[in-house]
Amino acid sequence: MATVVIMPRQGQSVESCIITAFNKKVGDTVEKGEVLFSYETDKSSFDEPAPEAGKILAIFREEGDDVPCLENVLVIGQEGEDISAFKPAADAAAPAAEAPAAPAAAPAAAPAPAAEAPAAAAAPAPATTEGVGSISPRARLLAEKTHADLLKAVPTGPNGRIIERDVQKLLDQGFTVSPAARDGYTAATEGTGMNGKVVLGDLNAPAAAPVAAAAAPEAAYEDVKIPNIRKIIAKQMCASLTTMAQLTLNTSFDASKIIALRGSLKAGAEKMGLANITYNDMILFAVSRVLGNYKVLNAHYLNDDTMRYFKTVNLGVAVDTERGLMVPTVFGADKMSLNELAKSAKSVIGDAQSGKINPDLLKGATFTVSNLGAMGIESFTPIINPPQTAILGVGGITKRIKEVGGADVTYSAMSLSLTIDHRAIDGADGARFLKELGFALENFDLLLTK
Amino acid sequence: MPKCQYVDPGKAFEAGYIHFEDIPVCQYNKTLAEEKKIYTKDDFLRIYRDMAIIREFETMLNEVKVKSNYNGVEYNNPGPAHLSIGQEASAVGEAYCLDINDFSFGSHRSHGEILAKGLSSIYKLTDEEVYDIMKEFLGGSVLAVVEKQMKSENIKDLAINFLLYGALAEIFARKTGFNRGLGGSMHAFFIPFGLMPNNAIVGASAPIALGAALYKRSNHKPGIVISNCGDGATGRGPVLEALNFASMDQITKLWGMEGKFEDGGMPILFNVFNNHYGMGGQTRGETMGYDMVARLGAGFNPQQMHAERVNGYDPLAVIDAVTRKKALLLEGKGPALLDVVTYRVSGHSPSDSSTYRTAEEIEAWKNADPIVAFRKKLVKGKIATEEEFAVMHEQITARMTEIMKLAINDEISPRMDLNKEPDAIASIMFSNQQVKSMDPSREAEMLCPKEECPRVKEIKGKVRTATDASGKPVSKMKMYNVTDGLFEPIIDKFYEDPTLIAYGEDNRDWGGAFGVYKKMTEAVPYHRFFNSPISESAIVGSAVGYAMCGGRAIVELMYADFIGCAGDEIFNQMAKWQAMSAGILKMPIVLRVSVGSKYGAQHSQDWTALCAHIPGLKVVFPSTPTDAKGLMTSALEGTDPVVFFESQRVYGFGEQFRKDGVPEGHFEIPFGEPDVKREGKDVTILTIGAVLYRAMDAAKELEEKYGISAEVIDSRSVVPFNYEKVIESVKKTGKILIVGDACERNSVMRDMASNITEMCFDYLDGPAVVVGSRNWITPAFELEKSFFPQPSWIIDALHEKIMPIPGYVPTTNFTDIEKVDRAKKGL
Repeated sequence: MATVVIMPRQGQSVESCIITAFNKKVGDTVEKGEVLFSYETDKSSFDEPAPEAGKILAIFREEGDDVPCLENVLVIGQEGEDISAFKPAADAAAPAAEAPAAPAAAPAAAPAPAAEAPAAAAAPAPATTEGVGSISPRARLLAEKTHADLLKAVPTGPNGRIIERDVQKLLDQGFTVSPAARDGYTAATEGTGMNGKVVLGDLNAPAAAPVAAAAAPEAAYEDVKIPNIRKIIAKQMCASLTTMAQLTLNTSFDASKIIALRGSLKAGAEKMGLANITYNDMILFAVSRVLGNYKVLNAHYLNDDTMRYFKTVNLGVAVDTERGLMVPTVFGADKMSLNELAKSAKSVIGDAQSGKINPDLLKGATFTVSNLGAMGIESFTPIINPPQTAILGVGGITKRIKEVGGADVTYSAMSLSLTIDHRAIDGADGARFLKELGFALENFDLLLTK
Repeated sequence: MPKCQYVDPGKAFEAGYIHFEDIPVCQYNKTLAEEKKIYTKDDFLRIYRDMAIIREFETMLNEVKVKSNYNGVEYNNPGPAHLSIGQEASAVGEAYCLDINDFSFGSHRSHGEILAKGLSSIYKLTDEEVYDIMKEFLGGSVLAVVEKQMKSENIKDLAINFLLYGALAEIFARKTGFNRGLGGSMHAFFIPFGLMPNNAIVGASAPIALGAALYKRSNHKPGIVISNCGDGATGRGPVLEALNFASMDQITKLWGMEGKFEDGGMPILFNVFNNHYGMGGQTRGETMGYDMVARLGAGFNPQQMHAERVNGYDPLAVIDAVTRKKALLLEGKGPALLDVVTYRVSGHSPSDSSTYRTAEEIEAWKNADPIVAFRKKLVKGKIATEEEFAVMHEQITARMTEIMKLAINDEISPRMDLNKEPDAIASIMFSNQQVKSMDPSREAEMLCPKEECPRVKEIKGKVRTATDASGKPVSKMKMYNVTDGLFEPIIDKFYEDPTLIAYGEDNRDWGGAFGVYKKMTEAVPYHRFFNSPISESAIVGSAVGYAMCGGRAIVELMYADFIGCAGDEIFNQMAKWQAMSAGILKMPIVLRVSVGSKYGAQHSQDWTALCAHIPGLKVVFPSTPTDAKGLMTSALEGTDPVVFFESQRVYGFGEQFRKDGVPEGHFEIPFGEPDVKREGKDVTILTIGAVLYRAMDAAKELEEKYGISAEVIDSRSVVPFNYEKVIESVKKTGKILIVGDACERNSVMRDMASNITEMCFDYLDGPAVVVGSRNWITPAFELEKSFFPQPSWIIDALHEKIMPIPGYVPTTNFTDIEKVDRAKKGL
């Protein structure tokens, strides 16, 4: 009996994944556990191991395909087994059968998908629902009226049907797509428009003109396809800067207390059963406590009518990974002890770096902390992750001088850079937050006993 | 079971014998010389002419059928032609004795009867009378054709052309036919001549004719009723039921005002045209055991129904017999039964190759041809010469040819144009009239003033809501309930409409099996309100005949499950006659049926779907005292047949929804209007019948436990049904469950779900889901919760098919897999 390998569902909210690479081709023999193919969501990437040993009998998809979760990708089995039952029903994306013939006709220049494009464009049906599973007529109607982004919908109806309440939830979360963008919109995209609305600019540029490779001197440069995650980051960053009124405030604080604490932790943490608590954890802890007094900073600017203030602090932690910047979330940071917070942060940072992060943990942050101190950066202007209203950048430790009792004394200072969305927050509010945060960090022992 | 009659065990076991009188068999033996004293030459010739006209009319139909040509005129008639060639003497002999106050009903083989009675009526009416009838009929449209297109010697001659043309145009489905071509060959009739509808269902006319006799008897109307059928029909239950119903003791022993039983027995003659065959089955010697039809009379009453066997090949013998029977009926000694021996020389229909009889037999009967024999008798008796007859035949053939040419002329006799008038049939499916009294000229016969009616007095003291001002439930004894809601409009109508009658099994002293008619005996006289035999066909069939004559009837079948026992009467008769008569007939009948529970598989079924499927019936199913009252009032004001469903689960329920309680006095709820019993915004529950209360429980649970606000709409009516309110609700909620106690498959719920899906598709957040009973037999009461929809099923269906409810665990399986599996198994 042949075994079908499906596109796994990585997290509740993931509808589809893009296949980034196949490690095997039809006819290859695989061992159990060997990587069959790699794929990514819009936020993280994964490898799919072979569930059992055998021969690759069929591959239904191509690299770069956006495959709905739970749909068949390939079949492993013994030579000669019937695989017809596993063929995906919709032949819109069934290049497997034609694949052998196609390459001969189309060598390099024209990108293959071009052939399908006219057909898709001609279809009169609203393209909103392309790539969306089953949906009730009522939900469709509501989505059409409100421009809800159905590709981000989490179906809660029977048999995975999107029903009215799911669309309502999208609207509550601000997930919409502009009518202009809708027509070409087939894969969930992080929106850059107002309140995260997917706008035309968010869509993958339709088959950009092929690069005239022949004209360039050989080996002078290398053209590499930008990975999906990079594209997302690029869009998000641009969108952030183009849609908000960002303003950065810089300050520094006396880090002596936290340096001392870090010293004693290094010595005794293990004995006490504590986590390896870093400076960053302490900063996260202080932020989680001080943020409670500045609700405008722990908020989402949903649209020009609505601000959403959060009752808990979900801290986004910017993480440098091989794939690029990722921002996993520590949910409910304000309810955690320093030790708990350190453990949680470590866990999500580790997952992000290894690429195994649950996509659900890559959203939902109410405030973000980005720390480049370890890399010797003294100060920088972090970019806000919309629809959040602020982000805190943390720089490295430097020696500074201050006057104590008429004498110049050196001390270890750490820099803080707060970027705020001036649409939501005034400079003075940001300054007050920074001042209180600095005080808390300078008196970290007091904060801990609070 | 009237209390006034004592069932004495002593007498019940008394020894003795049953004595029978001799039943006369073909005892007519008058000579022509004797008959000459009764009939003039004109009478003899007229009898002959009428037989010859019928023979020619049917010969023409046969030629058209067999050769597509009559007398050189080509025509193709795809419709039926059940001919009675050979039976003319029987038809003419019977009709000779009848006038327009005498109503005759017949079968699918009744061309002869129609023409015979028509010709007889034309002869008996004055010129003015007959002309007025023709002028008024269907706006004079039939008359206009014969007046304009044919030369007539005088009014009577014109009337004969009118009769032949109207009948033939009807047979050829022309708009100028007696019923606009909607009745056709097997159902032609002409009420102004007392020619009542004929019936394509064998034997179906018997209970209908009984109803006409009941109308005459209960409303003291002149004339008698003839129920014609063939010998084959005597094997049918409805015929035997009608014979028995007409013979009931109570008619002569109990009916009448204040103990005066003045009107005597049922004025009906069951006339069997005994042509020896029921299609191909030979009744005497093969399919029956009575030897002679006349023997049946001995089985129904001590008078043996005055049964007699007569030579139907001799018109004078038939006239002799019918004259004597009619006199008996007018004396109040009905019912009567005649076995008129005749023979159908023609086949059952033109496709009949007579495989069941020998050529020799047919030849022998042809040789005995009643028309030839009568002519020879008259020539021999020197009443007329062969030449006179030859001239007569020539005239008849010429007349028939001319009429045929007229009837097949598409310009003069067009068919109904359903492209030009797409609503021509739709507009006559229901009469939709509001008539307070079917006979405003008379006072209603009642036994006491309304205020003194014990039940009326009792209701006066009742609380018209289910709970009192403080919210406490009113005691059962003091609470106005659904039976009171049904009773009020019925008793009001008894006082208002003198034609209203009510009957059914156990209606009178018992008060109806469920107490709706409790204490009504004291107010309504026996002949308007009585116990019928357990004869569902006769109950409903007679109501149809009663309504055809202009009366209003409310009949009861006790359990809806008994609808099957009156299937033809409900589905073919009650439902169809308004449209089949081109809107000439009205059918003000309320058929009460009660949906049971607790009594198992044959006493617990909601059969609304069966009734709703048949075009021409209105179907309602109220579940609250207010709705019961309002809909019964509307049903009794209307002129259409209504199947009025009631539920035994709720007869004792008080008014829970209407704050002011059940309205006093005249109160109508228009048919077709559903009622929002509970407002909500998240999901719509549409109910049919008593399941309303379980839906309310489900709505309560949804609200209290899951914060889901359900709107409950009580359909109240099934046919007609106004979807507007439901559509409005679905637009709001996006979700709908249709709930009822009927088995789910092919139910009204399914029909509604399908319609709602079509009309609300874009507004639906999930499929329109049906929650009905399982497609099983109804089990015992203790197991009913696994069969009938429960509140939890409604929530389960919402959860599984439309909108999963977080944290909810369903107990029943509404998934597609389960559905497919059940369907595969036929469950």
